[in-house]
Amino acid sequence: MSLPAVIADLRKIAGPDAVLDSPEDLMLYEYDAGVRKSTPGAVVFPQNAQQVSQIMHVAVASHIPIVARGAGTGLSGGAISRQGGIVVAFSRMNRVLEVDVENQRAVVQPGVVNLQLSELVSHLGLYFAPDPSSQKACTIGGNVAENSGGPHTLMHGVTVNHVTGVEVVLPSGEIVQFGGKAAESFGYDLTGFFVGSEGTVGITTAITVKLTRKPEKVATLLGVFESVDDAARTVASITAAGITPAALEMLDGWTLRTIEAFCHAGYPLDAGAVLLIELEGLREAVEEQAIAVNEVCLGQKAREVRRAKTAEESALLWKGRKLAFAALGRVTPSYYTQDGVVPRSKIPGVLRHIDEVSKKYDLVIGNVFHAGDGNLHPLILFDMRDAEQFERVLHASSDILKYCIDVGGSITGEHGVGIEKRDMMPLLFTEEDLDIMISLRNAFNGDEVLNPDKMLPMPRMCREIGGPSRNAVLAREGM
Amino acid sequence: MSAVGTSVHVSRELREICGAKNIVDDPALLHTKTISGVTPAVAVTPASPEEVAAVLRLANERGLSVVPAGGFTRQQAGNVPGGIDVLLDTSALRGVEHYDAADLTIGLGAGWSVAQLSDKVAQDGLLFAGDAALPHRATVGGLLATGLAGPLRHGYGGLRDYCIGIRFVTGDGRKGKGGGRVVKNVAGFDLMKLLIGSWGTLAVITGASFKLFPAPRQTKTFVARFADAAEAIGFRDHVLRSPLSPISLELVSPSALESNDTAWCVYLRAAGSDAVLARYRSELGAAISTEIEGGQESAVWRRVADFACDAPVQSTVISLSLPLTELLPALNQIASMCESVGMTFAAIGRIGVGHLAVSLSPRVGSAPDFATALSTFRDQLSRDTSMSVLSGGHADLWRSPTHSESMGAVKHALDPKGILNPGRFRF
Repeated sequence: MSLPAVIADLRKIAGPDAVLDSPEDLMLYEYDAGVRKSTPGAVVFPQNAQQVSQIMHVAVASHIPIVARGAGTGLSGGAISRQGGIVVAFSRMNRVLEVDVENQRAVVQPGVVNLQLSELVSHLGLYFAPDPSSQKACTIGGNVAENSGGPHTLMHGVTVNHVTGVEVVLPSGEIVQFGGKAAESFGYDLTGFFVGSEGTVGITTAITVKLTRKPEKVATLLGVFESVDDAARTVASITAAGITPAALEMLDGWTLRTIEAFCHAGYPLDAGAVLLIELEGLREAVEEQAIAVNEVCLGQKAREVRRAKTAEESALLWKGRKLAFAALGRVTPSYYTQDGVVPRSKIPGVLRHIDEVSKKYDLVIGNVFHAGDGNLHPLILFDMRDAEQFERVLHASSDILKYCIDVGGSITGEHGVGIEKRDMMPLLFTEEDLDIMISLRNAFNGDEVLNPDKMLPMPRMCREIGGPSRNAVLAREGM
Repeated sequence: MSAVGTSVHVSRELREICGAKNIVDDPALLHTKTISGVTPAVAVTPASPEEVAAVLRLANERGLSVVPAGGFTRQQAGNVPGGIDVLLDTSALRGVEHYDAADLTIGLGAGWSVAQLSDKVAQDGLLFAGDAALPHRATVGGLLATGLAGPLRHGYGGLRDYCIGIRFVTGDGRKGKGGGRVVKNVAGFDLMKLLIGSWGTLAVITGASFKLFPAPRQTKTFVARFADAAEAIGFRDHVLRSPLSPISLELVSPSALESNDTAWCVYLRAAGSDAVLARYRSELGAAISTEIEGGQESAVWRRVADFACDAPVQSTVISLSLPLTELLPALNQIASMCESVGMTFAAIGRIGVGHLAVSLSPRVGSAPDFATALSTFRDQLSRDTSMSVLSGGHADLWRSPTHSESMGAVKHALDPKGILNPGRFRF
């Protein structure tokens, strides 16, 4: 079937006003928050699961690749279509279907914005715990696909720890249920398997999530350090002291000055690094932990430890952290965010390595990251118009991720593999590991009409690691 | 599945893979490895994941059924096997892959007992939260395969929350892994989730990595006693709405722990400083009848965790996983089922999470038809409730909200010939 015929079918399924196919409209869907671009052939806005199922049938029958898209805030290219493919956008499936207070659950459509769910249930003393920095825009469907995290995943876990059931449209067009409202279900945990499968197994149309009770007390502390090294050692010491903060974030001096110029969060401009530490729980326990954290910081040469006195002061400190990426927009045309993870005790070493990489490739690299769980976000500044510089960025990025793997870490903590890191998967997994994953994907998505080119490398890439073939391959695929 | 005549050849080939001393095929020596009265044709104890892979490749090629086994604490679950060609004993998989107390993570072989793991990390002031039943026998591999963690589930989450990496061999002999050794990692499919609770039907787990927790410096258990289940569940709701965050919150039915006790009890275990524990006391108020600490406290929690494995031989143990609001209706249904068919029951469960283990026994002088009664009971359960039968050979009474054909597709992808643990549950 030709693309125009497919588009006509999509209009019949979802409605005449629910399909975009003009070049100027499609341009808006050719990118996400990552660095890859590819123009789809059509964007369709279904309003229910039956329509998604029918759309899936059309895509499979015509062998046109199809990909689900939430808000397009993903950083690994997960929502990017293959050139000329179909994008299924979920902005018209954005209703909270049920709030079940007694069972601490909500059932939501995939297009519900992360923060909106928390705001909706706030008056009940509840919230949705996963809190990506993009939570004002990103959707829960996208969070499920990428298994997104955020600062408070240190205590509360990533998205998968907060999803108990999913309704899924499989590539066969079937609408099926995995799990439900119970915390765990017997049988294979296909809910857990589905979350983080990056849209390669099916498309979710309803998600059952846990709602978490708000803590009685929250304390936000800012540890100010002369050097990145001192701050990094403090992270390991806090963990070793048996304290589990709700969040433990680190910003290096360059990044905090960039943020401060943008939004005046109250970070000290002459600091080498700061730690943003949040404690939550029972009032008595939080007060004890605050004292302990203060002692650990001062023992590791903190210049001072400030504690937010009011909710407003606390919100301001967090505003700086959450707007870090936006602040970069003032100082660079583009930036590349990496998402490597290292064991927590290796943080000082990896930060020294990033500093060396910055010098070696002559690039500015800022660090703002989830230090408590060893999840780095080096921000590499560049100008997309400078192809030679972009090539250096890719090499620097790959260098950092290889270091993470060498010290026992991973290439992604919360952003997903997507397009951008799939050729690094063979560094983390053996050919046989990947073969098993491919056979699982093929059990659902054998002809790869659904979200091709994501997460799992093509078999030949297993032997062609990190070489110049990467961009050539992507170019061949139209990305 | 296999002809008896092949077993001599198979034993010889298994000897070549694992060494003669790790193969037992003398029927006189296999009596310690029976499962529900079924004796395997041969038992093999591979010493490495590579040997496990070689054993499974051989079994897959010949179409031999393989039953993975650790400490034999949960082997009575599911159907009685029709026959066992190869019993694959994982107890020799004992390497430590990584351990750094400062990182609060450990990775080790599936053959470690849960008690050995817990004792090892306790020396560094750390806690392994998988408080399995019979921990001196239960193995790490078995704990993951069954997915049955204990009372600490309330405060620390389930295995799916703190298992951060898994190593395994699929039914067709492919050696694979998911996750890794860091606490946050979303690279590739989450195969930890897929294998936890898969009852050895997808792959043989050879090793795993876990997130550990700082061990609490002190704990105290508060016991509240009630006249009926409804009051006990009402107390649970009070606790869940309060700012308290206990590490365990357990319902104990009359006679579940003490044979002559007539009260429905809620056991709440709290961790923290004197000030924190004092706060618990004031929040919980007059409902608390007893406080337990020290050795007595540990002993009580040991018995709670062991409950499902301690049931009398003639009883059937079911496990329910259900939404919080479904607990009381399920308990009422169990009571009326027992009343009508001549059974008694005892229940212990994670009522703050939605887990219940129920031991059903025939009333003296009665011979109830468990299968019929349980089948009727199962059909009354809500859509979101799942049920498994942990003893008594009733795998067909198993129930899950998850799409059955999708589970079948996953099974086929990893164990295409269906050699792993056939009949253990649906597959």
